[in-house]
Amino acid sequence: MANTLYNGATCRIPLRDESLAFSRHVSRSLSFLLKTRAGKQSYAFAVKASSHSDFDVDLSLSPRVNAVKPSKTVAISDHATALFQAGVPVIRLAAGEPDFDTPAPIAEAGINAIREGYTRYTPNAGTMELRQAICRKLKEENGISYTPDQVVVSNGAKQSIAQAVLAVCSPGDEVIIPAPFWVSYPEMARLADATPVILPTLISDNFLLDPKLLESKITERSRLLILCSPSNPTGSVYPKELLEEIARIVAKHPRLLVLSDEIYEHIIYAPATHTSFASLPGMWDRTLTVNGFSKAFAMTGWRLGYIAGPKHFVAACGKIQSQFTSGASSIAQKAAVAALGLGHAGGEAVSTMVKAFRERRDFLVKSFREIDGVKISEPQGAFYLFLDFSFYYGREAEGFGKIEDSESLCRYLLDVGQVALVPGSAFGDDTCIRISYAESLTTLQAAVERVKRALIPLSSAALV
Amino acid sequence: MASVLLTATISTITFGDQYSISRCAFPSLSTLHLRATQKGIHVEMNKRVVVVKAMTTKSDFDDTDVDISLSHRVNAVKPSKTVAISDHATALLQSGVPVIRLAAGEPDFDTPAVIAEAGMNAIREGYTRYTPNAGTLELRQAICHKLKEENEITYTPDEIVVSNGAKQSVVQAVLAVCSPGDEVIIPAPFYTSYPEMARLADATPVILPSHISNNFLLDPKLLEANLTERSRLLILCSPCNPTGSVYSKKLLEEIAQIVAKHPRLLVLSDEIYEHIIYAPATHTSFASLPGMWDRTLTVNGFSKTFAMTGWRLGYIAGTKHFVAACGKIQSQFTSGASSISQKAGVAALGLGYAGGEAVSTMVKAFRERRDFLVESFREMDGVKISEPQGAFYLFIDFSSYYGREVEGFGIIENSDSLCRYLLDKGLVALVPGSAFGDDSCIRISYAESLTNLKTAVERIKKALIPLISSAALV
Repeated sequence: MANTLYNGATCRIPLRDESLAFSRHVSRSLSFLLKTRAGKQSYAFAVKASSHSDFDVDLSLSPRVNAVKPSKTVAISDHATALFQAGVPVIRLAAGEPDFDTPAPIAEAGINAIREGYTRYTPNAGTMELRQAICRKLKEENGISYTPDQVVVSNGAKQSIAQAVLAVCSPGDEVIIPAPFWVSYPEMARLADATPVILPTLISDNFLLDPKLLESKITERSRLLILCSPSNPTGSVYPKELLEEIARIVAKHPRLLVLSDEIYEHIIYAPATHTSFASLPGMWDRTLTVNGFSKAFAMTGWRLGYIAGPKHFVAACGKIQSQFTSGASSIAQKAAVAALGLGHAGGEAVSTMVKAFRERRDFLVKSFREIDGVKISEPQGAFYLFLDFSFYYGREAEGFGKIEDSESLCRYLLDVGQVALVPGSAFGDDTCIRISYAESLTTLQAAVERVKRALIPLSSAALV
Repeated sequence: MASVLLTATISTITFGDQYSISRCAFPSLSTLHLRATQKGIHVEMNKRVVVVKAMTTKSDFDDTDVDISLSHRVNAVKPSKTVAISDHATALLQSGVPVIRLAAGEPDFDTPAVIAEAGMNAIREGYTRYTPNAGTLELRQAICHKLKEENEITYTPDEIVVSNGAKQSVVQAVLAVCSPGDEVIIPAPFYTSYPEMARLADATPVILPSHISNNFLLDPKLLEANLTERSRLLILCSPCNPTGSVYSKKLLEEIAQIVAKHPRLLVLSDEIYEHIIYAPATHTSFASLPGMWDRTLTVNGFSKTFAMTGWRLGYIAGTKHFVAACGKIQSQFTSGASSISQKAGVAALGLGYAGGEAVSTMVKAFRERRDFLVESFREMDGVKISEPQGAFYLFIDFSSYYGREVEGFGIIENSDSLCRYLLDKGLVALVPGSAFGDDSCIRISYAESLTNLKTAVERIKKALIPLISSAALV
């Protein structure tokens, strides 16, 4: 909620209305100050508090925070939730989380942890039991060898990634991020004072990174390449052959490390297979592997993820964590041990979910292929479709206005169709819109009907 | 654990002419300081970037030229000593050594049954998905209600962000409001993470010493003398970790009058130990003081009062502008806190004023332990003590023992070596005062049963005997 309001304030509310946000504390006029900090401009609003203070409080924020955009996926999801709670029957296909309950054995392990009083601080890096189980999983499922002191468990994989970026990137370093990208990657780079370098991909290439483009963009400042496979938002899976090509390029650059985000590893549709980047020849010592429990095991609310990599880097991540949050939830860690105890790739509990996801994917792919002007790349993993609706840009909708980009189209689909989606601009590709199919088939069917109906007036509208 | 093992790993590196290394011994696990040149190339130390090529077959980087440098900000940050020591003591205990751990800062009580039941119900009912980034509305409303009733501060739910523990709430506030070069004023003894959080923000910690004879409270004159144009944030922790001191309303009002003269100066009020307080001491929220609402960031949480350390739940309340910035950082760092823990948090606040009987029972036990320890240590020669009014720590001045040499161990030079000695000889894990910016003292946590505390006191007394009778100061 706070983010939604803040985002709105940033994007839409003119300056004179900004004062209304502070009206309860302001007795005089708003004053506006332009300040220069470290060569950057930031706008500070000095507000004079009524009666109690003779001085204006300096409301300026740090330049790094000002440079960071709030997560659009979080903002949109929060907004849709707020509408839903207000009684509007919105179909929410914006959040990136499974609609399944946490599997019973995992839930039971969490309940038992609470019952048995396993409610105190754990070691900063995570319990030994869990780290050992993680090492076993990485060996058996991914073919990568790690010791428990090469693993740090965090409050979700997002934290694992943020800490890795903060640990290895110095100011001015470049973080290479293929687009479409998960919304937080560039912001994490900015939090580290690093520079995101965005590499575009093509829907005709299944949104996969072109090795030649990668090679042409690497500089002396290139420090980290972020690879997400299966991908959010595209659902693409990098085949082993392509990863090997990328690895050969990476190997030529001693400063270049790879952060491999594998959180969707087990949500993958045969015949696609997952290859861990660290398992490729020569890549172990320059790869930071991030994985977790949110997606495969429907444990998003439990907040548990981990990073594995060379001890030097992982220790630095642990150091940041010791000053940021300390260890993750003891209860969630016990639940995670049970999750890994379900067997290879989560056993039947996960395969049941994947079967349902596949059915939904197939339905959506078929449905959207039927719609004029929509381009689609069939995903091989995760639970997102990243659809090209750019055909509809430039058209005017009666009672709404011009559809200019992915954001206005999403706003239109939310207003008129009551379907909450995420604009592709949040992921660095404004031609598309992300649809999450972590929702029941019944709901998806209703959503497709609503989207189709909402698009009808656009199809017949003249280009403005 | 990672920090401790890091030391062990680095120590196996074979040194050639090109390398040198200096590091501190346990338990002073400060950042390893590596200075090196590689293949004749001089590393620019002013950038604080260190490039190290390991020369051992056991290294993670065998036969590779991978650049393993870390960001300067991370290199500047020291690992949390309390976490490192607690991890180490836990490891010893798990290997069979009967260590009494008085190092960790958490209650020894179970989470109250009503709260635990709420967490279990959340799991059973499938309340296991993402929550809003800022926290559930239900919890934020309950927090506003608590802050109004117990602290006399008025906030709306959009002026609250719930995080994975209060530590995250504090660090996000520091990152949000401090620009590079800003000063963060931190009275010492301080909670070990505060200066490191300032460094993460590229801000400069400005440490203000206090005196045991003044109950470790900030001297307003000293505060005023150290304020500059760059002063951005003053961190006040009351009841205090590590001292247990409680700021009186009168003193806070004096501080507020000084703060009010400086438009850039904000206050972060860490109130996490609010309800662990011993009558007649009372807690005053800084934001409730005249003129301070709009420049105060109030941090509180559930870990200490409700014995919910493993649940990871804390929150910040303040001006919407600042809190929104904290929420923005959170949306890119962790997203919302655990849904299960948030349901438990609602139940905790439902226990009633100041946690009701569940909390008063704990506080009664803490008080009994405090009284026992204060009496016990006052009997010891050379020990100075300030009686704590809150939290569950004693910050005891053992500096009269510094400089003495003990057979089989060496010289007791400072709080680090004394703690190491007490762990080696007495099998009691404590935290050196140097972790808190005051090397004359050692922190003892009395979040432990009275039985264990009695044993610990006996062990400490026994361990100190050779020091008392030790030969002349070296």
